Amino acid sequence: MLVDRLQFAFTIMFHYLFPIGTMGLAPFVAAYTWKAARKRDEESARIAAFWTKIFAINFAAGVVTGIPMEFQFGTNWAAFSRNTGSVVGQPLAMEGMFAFFLESVFLGALLYRRRGLPSTFVAWAGVMVCAGAWLSGFFVVATNAWMQHPVGYRIAADGTILLENIWRVLFSPFSYWQFAHVLSGAILAGSFIVAGVGAYYLLSRRDEAIGRRLVRTGSIVAFAFALIVVFPTGDRNGRDVTQYQPVKLAAEEGLFTTEREAPLAIIGMPDVTRKRLIDPIFVPDFLSFLSYGNYKANVNGLDAYARELWPPVELTYYSYHIMVGLGTIFAAAATVAVLLLAFGRLWSARWMLWILMLLMPFPFIANEAGWVATEVGRQPWIVYGLMKTAAGGSPTVSNGETIFTLMGFAGMYFLLGFLFLYLTLREIGLGPSRENPA
Amino acid sequence: MSIAAFVTIAFMFAMYVMLDGYDLGVATVGALIARGERDRSAAMASIGPFWNGNEVWLIAAAAALFALFPAAYAAAFSGFYLPFIIVLWLLMLRGIALELREHFPSEVWHQFWDAAFAASSALLIFVFGIALGNLLRGVPLDAAGYFAGTFAFLLNPYALLVGVFALATLAQHGAAFAALRLDGDLGLRAARMLRALWWAVLPLYLAVTAATFAVHGGVARWLLAMPLLSLAELAGVWWGARSQRPERAFAMSLAFVATLLTAAAGTLFPYLLPAFPAGRGGISIFSAAPSAVALTCALTVTLGGIVIVGIYSPIVWRRMGGKLRAE
Repeated sequence: MLVDRLQFAFTIMFHYLFPIGTMGLAPFVAAYTWKAARKRDEESARIAAFWTKIFAINFAAGVVTGIPMEFQFGTNWAAFSRNTGSVVGQPLAMEGMFAFFLESVFLGALLYRRRGLPSTFVAWAGVMVCAGAWLSGFFVVATNAWMQHPVGYRIAADGTILLENIWRVLFSPFSYWQFAHVLSGAILAGSFIVAGVGAYYLLSRRDEAIGRRLVRTGSIVAFAFALIVVFPTGDRNGRDVTQYQPVKLAAEEGLFTTEREAPLAIIGMPDVTRKRLIDPIFVPDFLSFLSYGNYKANVNGLDAYARELWPPVELTYYSYHIMVGLGTIFAAAATVAVLLLAFGRLWSARWMLWILMLLMPFPFIANEAGWVATEVGRQPWIVYGLMKTAAGGSPTVSNGETIFTLMGFAGMYFLLGFLFLYLTLREIGLGPSRENPA
Repeated sequence: MSIAAFVTIAFMFAMYVMLDGYDLGVATVGALIARGERDRSAAMASIGPFWNGNEVWLIAAAAALFALFPAAYAAAFSGFYLPFIIVLWLLMLRGIALELREHFPSEVWHQFWDAAFAASSALLIFVFGIALGNLLRGVPLDAAGYFAGTFAFLLNPYALLVGVFALATLAQHGAAFAALRLDGDLGLRAARMLRALWWAVLPLYLAVTAATFAVHGGVARWLLAMPLLSLAELAGVWWGARSQRPERAFAMSLAFVATLLTAAAGTLFPYLLPAFPAGRGGISIFSAAPSAVALTCALTVTLGGIVIVGIYSPIVWRRMGGKLRAE
């Protein structure tokens, strides 16, 4: 069981690096493609071709690492699939039918287009690719949201969970706020990539006209989404956790004892044996306010719940704090960049360009950390309150088999990760001015 | 309604074989008909815009199986753990090979990925053939409906024969597509390859048909018409190839593949995973069905999706179609 968990954690975390890129870069690809096709602007065409190439590498890596996810429910989590497939299978089938086809059919058209293709067709193909990427994200998050907060089901006589109402599954508040948060996190990452690549060109004193456009667009979008990630999406997502998964909230915040006027721990290291935070820095009363909008509210600590219902506290706590901490840094950096831009000082502020360039990988870490907090914090449940993760495995698959396949995945992903980085950096090195505006 | 679900799933898998079948086939024969770098690039470009959309049929079919028949999905995927993971790795290798080859201008790089692409595609067809063979023959199942056999059991002579037949059929399918899409010498060599492969497909088809009747015994009466239809379509492929009309050869090849899969689905019905030896039951569409609500929902989603995809895919295909030249 431990090996199955490791394999799922490894394959999903590696896979998720790429959907962040596709969901985050898709709007930029669509917008530049649209501009190039409708306004017949040659510079936009170069930028569009450049980002389409980078998007395509990302997409390919996302597709090949995504296929195992679809299969693993059946191969490694047969009991879970058998028990919940009636519900969980629905959004996944929708993803296949409504999102995957859209994205791959139209991306094929964008990548292999030739001269003479009508500009309306090209412009819309970009929009369709973006719609496909986002829809795909929605259906996956809806699946996950149901596992976090199951609704719209009934339990059959033999214990199987059966679908009762698909609309409640798709559009539960947990689902759409979580999706809004996930999507804005991805767009934040995409805009930091656009700004960071632009900053790299400006720092290298090459492709400067295009570099300025990328930094300008990237940092404005990053500023907007650095705020949206916190409010309303992060806030509403947090309230759902407070309401439906209070033990996860306690683990995320490192709150061991139930308190009125609960403080918010900015930093500190949880000590689970002694049930306290080591070297914490607190903001008094603030956790009560964030959770319930009231400084005096009572917040349940881990001590309010049976020990066997605690998620792994350290992992949940650290990943949550990494996400929040990085989010704060992004908001600060984007705000400074936008202010400099507004006063016309950004191009001479090379230190800020350095910061934008070096920040590129960090939104990916923040997105991943957010998911770790969500998923590890859900433990010991695979479907919250209904089914334990320990009961979800495949009765016929032994540890030995999974160790073998885990090694295979590790080898293949190492190669893929290396190729992905190499080819992406190479495209960035070649730059948009080398593109042939079609 | 379970029957409608079975037909839908069978239709999706058949679409997968018909569509991804030709790009798997081009990958397999591409290595044989190409003379040098330019030819191989042209062969790749002929399937470039389409392969990914084609492969989605497999992913969507697996997801539809999950939603429509969770018990069968769980039993099959965990029961055949190793074969499924091998299929996964091959699919991944193939995707990496095709997508990444274009991003680096070096002949050595291209040669490596072309070889990886051809090898993984051919193996994939072979493995799919073996899987289909075992599905038709039945597999040992325990009381809970999980696979109770061994890996070696799956490599029986009948399944291997179906594997070889699948390889020949899809290679022929790919050659027909290549003859249709590629111009010049390369297109002519694809047409020649098509005629050569035809002579491999015909005897293999007869052998597989005879063997299927032998391992399966009683089949529904309407299925007896299938061999005649298949032979007529195979004759059509020959006629298209002979008369230099690759579009007819490809259309006939599509029909041939569709008929084969209809026959296979008809032989399986009503089982999703029949037990071995034949006649011992298995996981049927009635034992594996979820609630009526779930069936209705998943059927609406898949059928609605098929209609929508059926509208926009041909529009895109038409824009991307036409003859390609090696350049």
